[in-house]
Amino acid sequence: MLNLLVLTILFSTPLILAAMGGYTSERGGVINIGLEGMMLMAACVGALAAAHYGPVGQMIAGVVAATVLSFVHWLATQVYHIDHVISGMAINAVAAGGTNFLYLKLSDPAHGSGLPHLPISVFCVAGIVVPFLLWFYSRQTRGGLRLMAVGSDPDKARLMGIQPIRVRLFGLLATGILTGIAGVELVAYTGVFTDNMTSGRGYIALAALILGGWRPLPTFMACVVFGFFSALRLQLQGTPLFGAQLPSQLWAALPYLVTIIALAGLLGRNRTPAGLGKP
Amino acid sequence: MSFAVRLLGITKRFGTVTALDRVDLEVEQGAIHALVGENGAGKTTLMRVLYGAIAADEGSMEVEGNTVRFGTSREAIEAGVGMVSQHYGIIPELTCLQNLILGAEGGLVLKNKVAEERAQSLAARMGFTFDWHAEASTLSPAGAQKLEILKLLWRNARIMILDEPTAMLSPADAAALFESLHRLANEGATIILVTHRLPEVLDHCSRVTVLRGGRRIDEKLVVDTNGNELATLIVGEAIVEPDRSQPFEPGTTLLQITGLVVKGDHGEQALKEVNLTLRSGEVLGIAGVDGSGQRELFEAIAGLVQTQHGSMQMLGSDCLSWDAAERIRNGLRLIPEDRHAQGVVEDWSLDENAALGLQRLAPFANKGRVDGKARFEMAEQIADRFKTKRGGLKLPMSSLSGGNQQRFVAARALCLNAKLILAFQPARGLDIKGTQQVYDGIREACRNGSAALVVSFDLDELLEQCDRVVAMNNGKLLEPRAQDSLDRDAIGRLMVGAQ
Repeated sequence: MLNLLVLTILFSTPLILAAMGGYTSERGGVINIGLEGMMLMAACVGALAAAHYGPVGQMIAGVVAATVLSFVHWLATQVYHIDHVISGMAINAVAAGGTNFLYLKLSDPAHGSGLPHLPISVFCVAGIVVPFLLWFYSRQTRGGLRLMAVGSDPDKARLMGIQPIRVRLFGLLATGILTGIAGVELVAYTGVFTDNMTSGRGYIALAALILGGWRPLPTFMACVVFGFFSALRLQLQGTPLFGAQLPSQLWAALPYLVTIIALAGLLGRNRTPAGLGKP
Repeated sequence: MSFAVRLLGITKRFGTVTALDRVDLEVEQGAIHALVGENGAGKTTLMRVLYGAIAADEGSMEVEGNTVRFGTSREAIEAGVGMVSQHYGIIPELTCLQNLILGAEGGLVLKNKVAEERAQSLAARMGFTFDWHAEASTLSPAGAQKLEILKLLWRNARIMILDEPTAMLSPADAAALFESLHRLANEGATIILVTHRLPEVLDHCSRVTVLRGGRRIDEKLVVDTNGNELATLIVGEAIVEPDRSQPFEPGTTLLQITGLVVKGDHGEQALKEVNLTLRSGEVLGIAGVDGSGQRELFEAIAGLVQTQHGSMQMLGSDCLSWDAAERIRNGLRLIPEDRHAQGVVEDWSLDENAALGLQRLAPFANKGRVDGKARFEMAEQIADRFKTKRGGLKLPMSSLSGGNQQRFVAARALCLNAKLILAFQPARGLDIKGTQQVYDGIREACRNGSAALVVSFDLDELLEQCDRVVAMNNGKLLEPRAQDSLDRDAIGRLMVGAQ
């Protein structure tokens, strides 16, 4: 039981951090399906840096890598007005191919696994604190109000003397930092970078954000539920259920199934930021 | 005599088009100054220059005696200039209080208590009441307008620009608005009123500046002028009154709606037991503030939404089982509200757009194919009907200005055996001449045996153009007594739900 709780927290944390990264981006009106790629890039660059610069270097390098991608997303969508989804897909593609290449070329076989890392508890605490911070930020601060306003209607916000492009820059820099920490946690936990190690977590985080109605605390809860089902899978995998041995693939599909069912059941209620994707 | 605002020689070009050509505007401190002109005369552009939303190419600006140059709206706000745009700047997802303070929050961390107290005192000063923590989406158009005015006060604006502030208001709400504006002017605020409604100018303003085609045509003291003179200055020629002398006898019933109930997006009853009879020859106007159920009625007649109860007969047959295509085949024609979203495909050529919606009818359809030659001929007719200014029929629809797209969409609805014309704001984005042409076209079709249902938020336009006007309020359709069918006060009362 305790094991299940610990596993739930472990599995939830990267989802929460990535989803909060999605929050600061999408609440400001920037569609961001590039969360996956940002995490993956952070994981790879973090792993490469850890071998030489230790755990703090790993964190800094990972965050910087994700933030660079996030900045590129800002540049593409806000300055060059490229479609948000296309830019996000490009980021995912670049990360998928780029990390493979980078790791193959630059990794040192002597430090392949067991990389130094910050204590996992640091990440877990961040995963719990960040949603509350963002909740406070969006309700009680000027920056939060402006982020919401820009995400709801950039044109009207502009008339009130707000510059959406600036507000979104800060939002996306936060996205980079948060997805960066999420990506670094993945390597910190496993101690090794493997190809495509995010395995769709960025998309699940996005699903959690949608389920949570683009609000920090419900999104946090959605991430915990997903984390719980991932943990449950690990706990129950291989144990017979109702006398039948279920194939491991079915267990592996469980978190994704939950995502689809939850999305299908709740998507009807529309709480999308109205300015999502608007220039 | 001190001027609050002096704009001298303002010129603004968009590409090759000169939107403003050396325009001067001087507004006295504490006055309510009207700025009038047709669509596209440059009124809004000039005000956006003053508000810092766009930069002028040439010219100088003085605000309260200081020469200024605004790069952004923020600088204009800091200099005491505020603007309420035509489509309100209220963001529906935020609360009233959040909307009020947005952009002028006063500190990194919000002090909601302090803000609410100040908001409350500003509201009390104007005689308004607000639920500050309610979402702004719950506000009525009049409530949103009041919040906009408070937003200006919140920012300590001393010069207030209001762009078509009464476009969405009922007559009673408009009267209340002007009362507030007089109060503000008496307290020393300077108000610039952009409008196309001459009665507002004559009743409430002290001076009026007329723009036409990006030029300042004249400036007058309101006491020295009259409606006819202003109208002539605005269009540059005397206006021909619509010809209503032609008598007509309403003929057979073309559309009969009984007890119609339609559910809205949120499950509420958007139409409540609507009854309506439309006979051939008639142009029937539907007045009402935005969101009173006009959209749902339009969609129900067009066959775009599921109806809950009630019956509908089109040309004598039950039509509720007909889909939209069947209704079009029977002679229903649409001038939809939003031409970008519902009227045209902007990437298609004018030629291709000519058949849009009518593609199953001859002469467009020919043995299951669209007849290209016939379509081109029809496209030419459609474009010529209301003199759509165009580069060529093979160019994309997006090459046309909004007003010209509207001319095209309106002409298309009238081109082919229209029996029942359903028009939502048919004159949207058109100037006085264009508006008259479109309504004349509709009238002509009706005199030849069709009937038209016209929805507009502009009551005066309906009273001027329709044979009979009914009002919608909160999903109900209210008919004035027969002798009041064109009475402004009676219909205005129905619009706000009073009998």
